[in-house]
Parts: sequence; C-alpha cells; structure tokens
Amino acid sequence: MTTLIASTRDYDALVQEDRVHSAVFTDEQIFQDEMERIFHRTWLFALHESEIPNFGDFKRIQLGRFPIIATRDEKGEVQLLINRCRHRGAQVCEAARGNAKRFQCWYHGWTYDTTGDLVGVTGEEAYDESFKPDQYGLAKVPRSGSYRGFVFASLAEHGMSLDEYLGPTKQFIDIMVDSSPIGELEVKPGVVNKTMYRGNWKQVGMDGYHPHYVHMSVFKIFSKRESTTGSAVGAIHLEDPFSDASKSRTRGFPNGHASLDFRDQRRPHGAAAIEELKRTDEGRKYVEDMVAAHGQERANELIAWHGDPHLGIFPNLQLIHDHIRVVIPISPGETEVLMYPVFLKGVGQSINEKRLRAHEAFYGPAAAGSPDDAEIFERTQRGLVADAEPWILLGRGISREEVDEDGSVAACISDEITQRAQMQEWKRLMTVR
Amino acid sequence: MARQLVEVSPEALGAGILDIETQLRLERFLTYEAALMDEHEYDAWMSLWVDGDEILYWVPCNDDDQDPNTGIAIIYDNRRNLTERMMRLKDKTAHAYRPSAKLVRTVSGIVPLTVEGDELEVCSSFVLGEMRVGIQNVWFGKSVYRLKNEPNGFRIIRKKVMLLNNDEAMPNLTFLV
Repeated sequence: MTTLIASTRDYDALVQEDRVHSAVFTDEQIFQDEMERIFHRTWLFALHESEIPNFGDFKRIQLGRFPIIATRDEKGEVQLLINRCRHRGAQVCEAARGNAKRFQCWYHGWTYDTTGDLVGVTGEEAYDESFKPDQYGLAKVPRSGSYRGFVFASLAEHGMSLDEYLGPTKQFIDIMVDSSPIGELEVKPGVVNKTMYRGNWKQVGMDGYHPHYVHMSVFKIFSKRESTTGSAVGAIHLEDPFSDASKSRTRGFPNGHASLDFRDQRRPHGAAAIEELKRTDEGRKYVEDMVAAHGQERANELIAWHGDPHLGIFPNLQLIHDHIRVVIPISPGETEVLMYPVFLKGVGQSINEKRLRAHEAFYGPAAAGSPDDAEIFERTQRGLVADAEPWILLGRGISREEVDEDGSVAACISDEITQRAQMQEWKRLMTVR
Repeated sequence: MARQLVEVSPEALGAGILDIETQLRLERFLTYEAALMDEHEYDAWMSLWVDGDEILYWVPCNDDDQDPNTGIAIIYDNRRNLTERMMRLKDKTAHAYRPSAKLVRTVSGIVPLTVEGDELEVCSSFVLGEMRVGIQNVWFGKSVYRLKNEPNGFRIIRKKVMLLNNDEAMPNLTFLV
C-alpha cells in the first residue's frame, strides 16, 4: 500500500524540512534509487588502513551493490578492486580476509595480482593479438582517498573531493585518532560484532532523544553502581548527558554528517578521568604520553572525551565510543551493522582491554545497548508500513537551531538536527542530476 | 563439541570416565538447565552456578576461541556482569526481551571429557528454536562446561557456548544459551 506521493517518487515532496514520508523507509523502488544515487555516487567508508597492513593482505567489503576486494599492493598502496572476473563474471575472492599475492577465478582459471592486473589467462593461445590482457584487469573503484587511516571510496568518476566532503567533521575524527598518544589506531578485520535487524538502514542515525526511553534498563542498572567513570557508556558520567539542560549538543554538518557533541559536557570530567587512570602504571603512562604528545590542555580534553567523537559520516560510517560502525543496507527492511572496536596504538595492553570490555558490555547482539536499538528499529519498520498517516516527524527543536563558526548547526541534545541533516543530504543526492 | 570429542582421550570414549549413574545424573542436569533457559527461569538458572565471583559465562565472537584479551566476545561475564545481565533480562524496560521469546531446545552429545577430583569437563551440543514477534529463528551451538560434582547435584563453574553463526551477522540474542 503506497500513497499517491510515494508512487510518484517525488523526493522533494517526500522529504520536507520537518517531516519525511515513510515510503522513504519502506519502498523497494526508492531503495533501488538509493543504491544508484547515494551508495554508487557519494563517498562511502571502505575500511581502515590498519586492517590490511602488509603486502598481500586483503579484506572483502561491500560498497552499495558492489562486492569489493581491498588489497595492499607491492608498493604499499591500498587498492579497491571489484570482485568480478572480467571473463565471465564470477567472484575471484571468496575468503573474508587473508593474505594472497594472486586472486584466481576458479571458473576458467584467470588470475589477477594485488593491483587487479590480469597476470594469467589459461590457454592464452586461443586468443589472437587483438586480445589485450592489460585491458582486462579487475575493475577499480574510480575514486578513493583517506583521512588519518580511514579509507573512503566513491563509485562515481567525478564529484566533490573527499576533503570537501568531510569538511569540519575532520576535527571530530581527530578526537578518536588522537586518543592514541602516537596518533595511530589499529582496527582488526576479524574483531567485529556483526549484527542485523529487520529495518531500514537510515534508522541507524544519531539520536540524542532516545536513550532515556530505549536504554532505560541500562540507566537503571548504572544507577545502582557505585562508580560509573569506567562505565560502558562513555557518555554517562556524573550527570545526565542526554538532558536538554546539559551542555551536550546535537550537531548537523554539511553533506549529511551529524554528531552528538558531548565535548562541552565531558570537558569538566577530564580531571576525574585522569585521576582514575593514574591508579595503574599503564594508566599513568598513558596520561604522561598524552600530555607529551598533545600538551596538558589538549590531553585533558582528549581524555575527557574518551576518544569518542559520536560522529556519523553519511551514509555508512559512525564513530561511536570505542568503535567504528559500518552500516550495510540489504533491502528496505533489512540492514547489517558491523561494529569494529578500535585499538589504540602506543598504549599499555590494559588500556585496550578495558576499552574492549566496555565496548562488548554495551554493543553486540546480547549486550546491554544494541539489542534494544535493534528492537526499536524493527518495531518502527513494522509500524511504518501503515502509511495512512505517512509522515515521520523530525521537527523537534527546529526553532532553536544555532549556526556555529564551522558552519554546523547545533541545538539541545534531544533535538532532531541530526535526522534533519541526514535527510536533507539524502534529498540532495536523490534529486541531483 | 565436535572438536572437543575428536581430541578427547581414548578412555573418555571407550570405557568412559564416569559411571553410568553419574552420566545419567549429568544428562538430567544439562536437560534441566536447558529447560530453565527455555522457560526464562533466571533465578533458578543462577542457582546452578557455584558461589563466588570466579565464574565465567563465555559466548565467543568471530570464532570459537577468539581471545577476549585481544578481541571481543558476545558474552564474557563474571559474576558481576552476569548479575547485571539477569537484572536486565528481568527488567520490563529492556524492550528487546519484551515480549520474551518462546524457546525449545534439544541438548545431546553429552560426553564427559576429563575428570579431576570433583570437577569435570563436559561437552554437548544443542539445536534451539526461537519464536518471537512472528519470526522463527533456529540456532545451533556447542557447549563446554566445567562442572563441580557435589553430593546434592552439579554446579557450573564455567560455561563456554560456541554458536554456529558466531562469525555472521546475527539478530538479537535475547535469551540464555
């Protein structure tokens, strides 16, 4: 059942300033358009460089409808190759990750190297000189780029530069990277929570309004603990960061990026976090190294922020608490979410262990936080099908938005700026010609 | 469980390392534990564990043995974490658990692997059907227990559950395994 508006697929009408038509979340044709106009056009997060550190390392990833092999070639460059033999189209790599200098298609034995070049054709004498093997390498993702180890890719030949696309969010990405005293992260491709829910991919937004309700059970349990400074949710300290009276801000950036910006709310708690760290040798060393690397003032705030930018990069990346989250749309009503805990380089093992335990306590299919999020997304998907009154309201706080110096828009933590930023970018990409 | 059985000592498979009566007691115990999990009888299930903080309820993630010191787990609970998990499972504001799933599982392949004094290591496997909000999921898993054999019953010291899909995208796991 769809309304007249949905059947015309007029994206200007479906996405308004303060409301969105539910067809945007449920309609199969709109999902196909999203693949073409968003996922095959704009910048997508691909992987972190540290996942494939050495020559021959590879990892399979999904970009829109495209299966991709990310490789590290002999020169140390990251290559993003489309996983489809140029002969008859079979995938040439089936392993999820590993190390290989060659990828051989087992349909007829064609072989490619880590840059995608076709280096072996079985029974080559059957082709005459008009067959040029150098024209039949694995197709490459047209554009890629990286910022501080985060590799992004675009399946479009032309478009906005990555630098412009990320814009002011780069200083938020820095929050995560600079929580390592040597400014380096390690992401392990085999250390990941893989979850799925029966709901639309856009549900994985940034929402400062839901925690009191969706995560009520977590708040109740934390309230019974004596200390919450080492808690699973970095955002929960001594006062409620999700109160509109707090200094927390919801923030929308150009190009659909968004953040729950806890910087001002957390900054006063830096001293307490440092005191707690200093109770162990490795914690003390971490504080010293952070001060040496960044200076006292910056180190204090980086430690207060726990390396958590709470940032969403449209359309498929989030940096939340201790992890990198990748959103993979499967269909209008099915989504996979991959959550990779981030390891800090240049710190004692106990620091990373504590981060791992904090991560798995809240995130994952049996943890304290993720299941309730997935449950609400599924309830929403079931409700959205009933489109007699099709509008989803995203107008909360629309009259109290303020524009900041970096061009981002901010307001109280529960305001729906983040959703509005996401959906305005969605509309821009869906309607651009 | 298959891996543990393949590698087990010849005695454990041949003559067996437990007398028949203890083996039957063991099978009844693990079947009872499964029933408590199916019925969401959390307090009774918790009482099956030995006292003290040094218990471990471990459901590995990504493979059957990923080291939680350098990786993550789906569940990696000592008593404190497990106690909080029980609070959440029972809490009516934990939405993922309301309504609770209807469950039925069969446990089989119960073989003791080693016996040291009153402690024994036991493997088993299960098939579990889950029905919740109109969707049926089937789960498979292998378990390895460290149990204490006490005069009035077995108690769990450690339990590791290796889900068949622990390296795949999975929906919410809203019950005990």
